[in-house]
Amino acid sequence: MEQSGTSPLLLGTVQDVASGVVSALRGGDHARVADLAAVDGGAHSLVTAAVRVVGADLLLPDVLRGTPPDDAELALFTKAVQAYPPRRDTKPTVAWSHWAMRRTLRRLDAPAPGRPVGEPDGSWLIEADWQFLTQQLAVLAALALPTQDSTVFRVARSRPVDVARGFVRAVRRRDWQQAAGAGRWLTLLPGVPDTLGLEAGLDFVELMGGDDPRVALQVEAARRMRAGAFV
Amino acid sequence: MTDTRLIHTVGVHALEWLWSHRDGFRLEPDADPEVGLLERFKPVGELALVCEVLFREGVAGARQAQLARQLIDHVWRETLDGGRMLVRGQRTEPLSPIPFEVYLPFRELGYDQPEVERAARLNHRLDSWSAFEGTPTRRLGLSAFQRRFGLTPRPPEADALARTWLARTPEPWTVEGHIAYAVTHTVFHLTDWGENPDGLPPHLADYLALWLPVWIDDWLDLQRWDLLGELLVVDACLPRPTLDERAWTAFAAAQQADGAMPAVHAMPEGDPGEVFDIVYHSTLVAAFASVLASSRALTELAHATPS
Repeated sequence: MEQSGTSPLLLGTVQDVASGVVSALRGGDHARVADLAAVDGGAHSLVTAAVRVVGADLLLPDVLRGTPPDDAELALFTKAVQAYPPRRDTKPTVAWSHWAMRRTLRRLDAPAPGRPVGEPDGSWLIEADWQFLTQQLAVLAALALPTQDSTVFRVARSRPVDVARGFVRAVRRRDWQQAAGAGRWLTLLPGVPDTLGLEAGLDFVELMGGDDPRVALQVEAARRMRAGAFV
Repeated sequence: MTDTRLIHTVGVHALEWLWSHRDGFRLEPDADPEVGLLERFKPVGELALVCEVLFREGVAGARQAQLARQLIDHVWRETLDGGRMLVRGQRTEPLSPIPFEVYLPFRELGYDQPEVERAARLNHRLDSWSAFEGTPTRRLGLSAFQRRFGLTPRPPEADALARTWLARTPEPWTVEGHIAYAVTHTVFHLTDWGENPDGLPPHLADYLALWLPVWIDDWLDLQRWDLLGELLVVDACLPRPTLDERAWTAFAAAQQADGAMPAVHAMPEGDPGEVFDIVYHSTLVAAFASVLASSRALTELAHATPS
């Protein structure tokens, strides 16, 4: 989900949640997000909102490893899906990230709340120029998973050069979050130009922007998928 | 693709400004030795190179061609005193390649100064010249100029090219301003300033076709018009130029009503001489980019089949 307009308090919680995912991806424990959720009252809804912002990637470590998710974490994830249904007039990225969360629940054989929803419309991405394409794909980096097809994935797969250009643009602009998200997509796309230097590029993004757990999450996800850690 | 008229107009206006500010092309015979007499030769050489491109491409209108001829005559006769200032510069710094670099385009346009030629031939024989520790891009340019002069390049152009940034096709996200200028000048030298696009090896043309659009996008948004203009020249040197509409439209919009092109952001203010020194290069680049891109656009039109 996009971060614009996110309050400092929510941003901090998003970073805490993302930090927990990074830790789990690196082989650490899962407890951190569940710990955050253990608090009550207003803070609890803040965590739910933060989980909605992080989206499907909250359960990425389990998806990659094929392990069952922690019960408390799964409950929080399901709650976030339920609490923030996409409005009819919502932005495509919001509709798609919601869809991605529901798909994650299906993949983990967990019940998804509400009525089943089909793939959102993907037409907005097909005509996008390379700059906008990359920006949107980076927002939807949680959809960058091997073996999980979608219209968004098919568009990305058909435009590796455009996404590679967008990666260069994001690095030049020091937009590390966008660069990391684009880099994650690029690890999965065939036809990425060799001269891009993607592997060193992702390390560079981590070096420059990795203090932000949202950046570290995408870089780590890319690294896991490059290493073939997908079950 | 951009409207050819828009591209062409940028060059027409740029040349009008250069003509009306021709006195800015001035030498400083009494320059501080720390700076050196030769420092102010660079703008003169660049003007000659761009005028040469303009004559060669043959896309200039009658007024533009006439202004270019008057300009080149003016700087040869007035600024360089019929080439005698080049001789003086050479005698001040006998091993400097600058008088030769400035002289070459004048020679190709039919001007003549035998003493500069004698010095060039002598210097070319010296190991000292071939060992000159310029940047790799400058070294490539010197070798290319030696070939154009009729000498055997020392070092050979292929060797000089190998040491440039572009030849290694590095990670495109590492490019910053200095590297970008090195890339543009490598392309200028390889193509003889756009005359010979085939001089760009195919793998470098492919590399540039991939990444140039990103660099154009970036320096356009940064409003660095001088560098953007050079990148638009590189685009016009590629086998399939994009003649990027967004970039050309913004580039044209950045140009002042009198034809000056700011180097970055908006026009500077202040002493006319200082303003000239800041914007003459970007205005020359605007003329250069305009003439090459116009030429390529017309070539594409000629090749297009009626629909």
